[in-house]
Amino acid sequence: MIIEKSSEWAEGLIKRLENVEPWDNWTLYNMSYEIVKNNLITEFTGLQSPKYLTNLKPLEHQLNVAETVIERMNGKAILADEVGLGKTIEAGLILKEYLIRGLVKKALILAPASLINQWVEELHYKFYIPAVPYKKNTPLEHCEVVVLSMDTAKKSPHRELIFAQDYDMIIIDEAHKLKNHKTKIYEFVQSLKKKFCLLLTATPVQNDVFELFNLISLLKPGHLGNYEAFQSAFSASKHDLEHDDYLKELVNQVMVRNLRQDTGIEWTNRQVNIIPIQFSNEEKEVYEMIVNLKNISPIFSGAFSMITLQKEMCSSKEATFLTLNKMRQNCSNPEENASVENVMQRLMALETNSKAEKAYEIISQAKDKVIIFTEYKASQAYLQWYLHTKGITSVLFNGKFNKNKRDYMKHLFKEHAQVLIATESGGEGINLQFCHHVINYDLPWNPMKLEQRIGRVHRLGQEHDVHIYNLAIDNTIEIDILQLLYKKIDVFEKVVGDLDDILSAFKKTI
Amino acid sequence: MYPQQVQHYLRTFFTENNCQFVNDTDHYLTVQLTIDMDKRIMNRPYYWQYVENVGGVPCPSQLTLITDQTKLKENIKGELVHFGSPRLGQLFQVTHEMGTFIQMFEQVEESNKRPILTPWLVVNYKVSYYSNQTKEMLHSLGLNLMNGSIIKDFHASLSEINIAPELPTNAFLLPFVIKPIRGLERLDGVVENFIQNDDHSWAEQAEKRWQRDIRVLEFFYEGVEEKPESYEMEKTALQQQYEARIKIEIINGGLFYLK
Repeated sequence: MIIEKSSEWAEGLIKRLENVEPWDNWTLYNMSYEIVKNNLITEFTGLQSPKYLTNLKPLEHQLNVAETVIERMNGKAILADEVGLGKTIEAGLILKEYLIRGLVKKALILAPASLINQWVEELHYKFYIPAVPYKKNTPLEHCEVVVLSMDTAKKSPHRELIFAQDYDMIIIDEAHKLKNHKTKIYEFVQSLKKKFCLLLTATPVQNDVFELFNLISLLKPGHLGNYEAFQSAFSASKHDLEHDDYLKELVNQVMVRNLRQDTGIEWTNRQVNIIPIQFSNEEKEVYEMIVNLKNISPIFSGAFSMITLQKEMCSSKEATFLTLNKMRQNCSNPEENASVENVMQRLMALETNSKAEKAYEIISQAKDKVIIFTEYKASQAYLQWYLHTKGITSVLFNGKFNKNKRDYMKHLFKEHAQVLIATESGGEGINLQFCHHVINYDLPWNPMKLEQRIGRVHRLGQEHDVHIYNLAIDNTIEIDILQLLYKKIDVFEKVVGDLDDILSAFKKTI
Repeated sequence: MYPQQVQHYLRTFFTENNCQFVNDTDHYLTVQLTIDMDKRIMNRPYYWQYVENVGGVPCPSQLTLITDQTKLKENIKGELVHFGSPRLGQLFQVTHEMGTFIQMFEQVEESNKRPILTPWLVVNYKVSYYSNQTKEMLHSLGLNLMNGSIIKDFHASLSEINIAPELPTNAFLLPFVIKPIRGLERLDGVVENFIQNDDHSWAEQAEKRWQRDIRVLEFFYEGVEEKPESYEMEKTALQQQYEARIKIEIINGGLFYLK
């Protein structure tokens, strides 16, 4: 075993004995001893950090996570609590513990650009950790704890500057962005040394179990075997999991996940409603004309563009028009062009939007603040106009807004407007506990996106039951999306655990 | 350390170092540093070099330290100081440097007979065990430099004795039989002996975890002819994560002349 010791003190003592240097002050001598004694870590186990954190009252489940990660997982883990349970707090507790125990001197935190300041503030205010947001000329060698975005980190010259440092701990927020092992950021994180490492994500599986394999292989390569072994053991088809229990067991060795219901906190309920909508005859006709375009022109035969158009048609004619118009310009054949023009004319002649009407109906019944999520900017603009004609005030929100604008929009929504209309990318990093109605105007393909959306309102601090309205138009692609969402949730539950009602508790009835 | 403990610490620290308080509340304080303290903690060697070279009027800084921001109602600009903050770490370090070697005498009442004082070497050791976890122990050992007897937990027993840095008048100091440096070697041996006889299952367990994780890693790269850089990186990381180390530090110590 390595024993480190220094002869410095002996040399100093000799100098005093020979009267070369003076003896020290008795009070300072005692203070020095007391400091060491008071801050002595007398046990291998247990958390030291909470007693130093006067600005923080960690919840029971957060303390448990910190202890489990440090003592059972040896400081390498995926923190996968459901949205809103405080993964940042858990990560802060773990980091602080290692700093106090002297096991971590330098830490690197990667977070989405929009959350960097939030991280820095929380670490400062709640954990007394002097974290620094990374700027162009930040001297990394002098920063103990630095926060930067994945996008910055993976690029030169930042990438090289980071590699030149010796980090003891790596924390990655929104780690589901690492699900694809062919990306540059994945490769970057793979080449970082990970003595201690935390991956934070509420959604470790979004589409298939390989995403989880990729995450765990970053954290502990080999824990789930190598790719070939994993593939042959766990996937005949991507959605079919044979060795569920075995896999679950392995996953639980490196992942902690708390659900709302096991936190012991009284959570308000989620009431999920699927609202079936009937197209008007005219809308239905246009929808079918669009589907039929694939028989008319090869431009429309691609599955992806056809799906996009169908989804847009379920959202608004404005969204559809933009795509349709773009695709029309690719039609070289005048006949094809004319058919598309015909569809476009019929489209723009539509006078009603059945889904928007339903949304209005829900809003007027709620008589309260409502958030609408849509996938399309054109629909977002249309909905604002449409609600305005009905006398309902609204503000727009999307992920590209900078922090000030986000805060301002949140303020406007809280104080002045009844409705907030957000696009998908506005889902992360904003907390709106004062609102408890969410309309999913368009459904995303990915159930975790739905969970992220709901998580904006259904989190600590929500006092009311949360009402979720999933709008889906009958006899359209939206019914297929719903079914696929159920299938994906099933994969997630098999590997990771139960998911709060995202879609509806009555899924078997569909 | 809680904010009020930090506040108490700062107050004692600056008082002991002859720094005057400009403001002194229960949640922040402003202190006028002495020239010596400014040189120690303000990190401006060029300023002091300049002042001393041109014979200018030295102007040591004032420092405002806030220990409890939550109580702060005034519009005060200052440094936040809390356990774990760089400034407090620096002051701990200064305290450590200024309180490392001590020579103390028991204050004996003058009587008819000339009081005789026996020399003791006292050393306070901190022993730390590191793997992926930590544990620390404190050993305060005293060695009688006349007869070689050793007392454990020496620091605590000092609180019952009246001691001061001044030699009491008329006291007779017994000469060393054991030289202090030899004494230090003996005490080092006591600590090492203690470590040797301690339970080291922590290190064995860490070693087991290490080996298990290496096997997992090897499995991942099984059959890969030329292992990529990340393989070596992971191996290094595992070593740093689990390797058992023991560190022996001396916090402070010195000579005590006791009855």
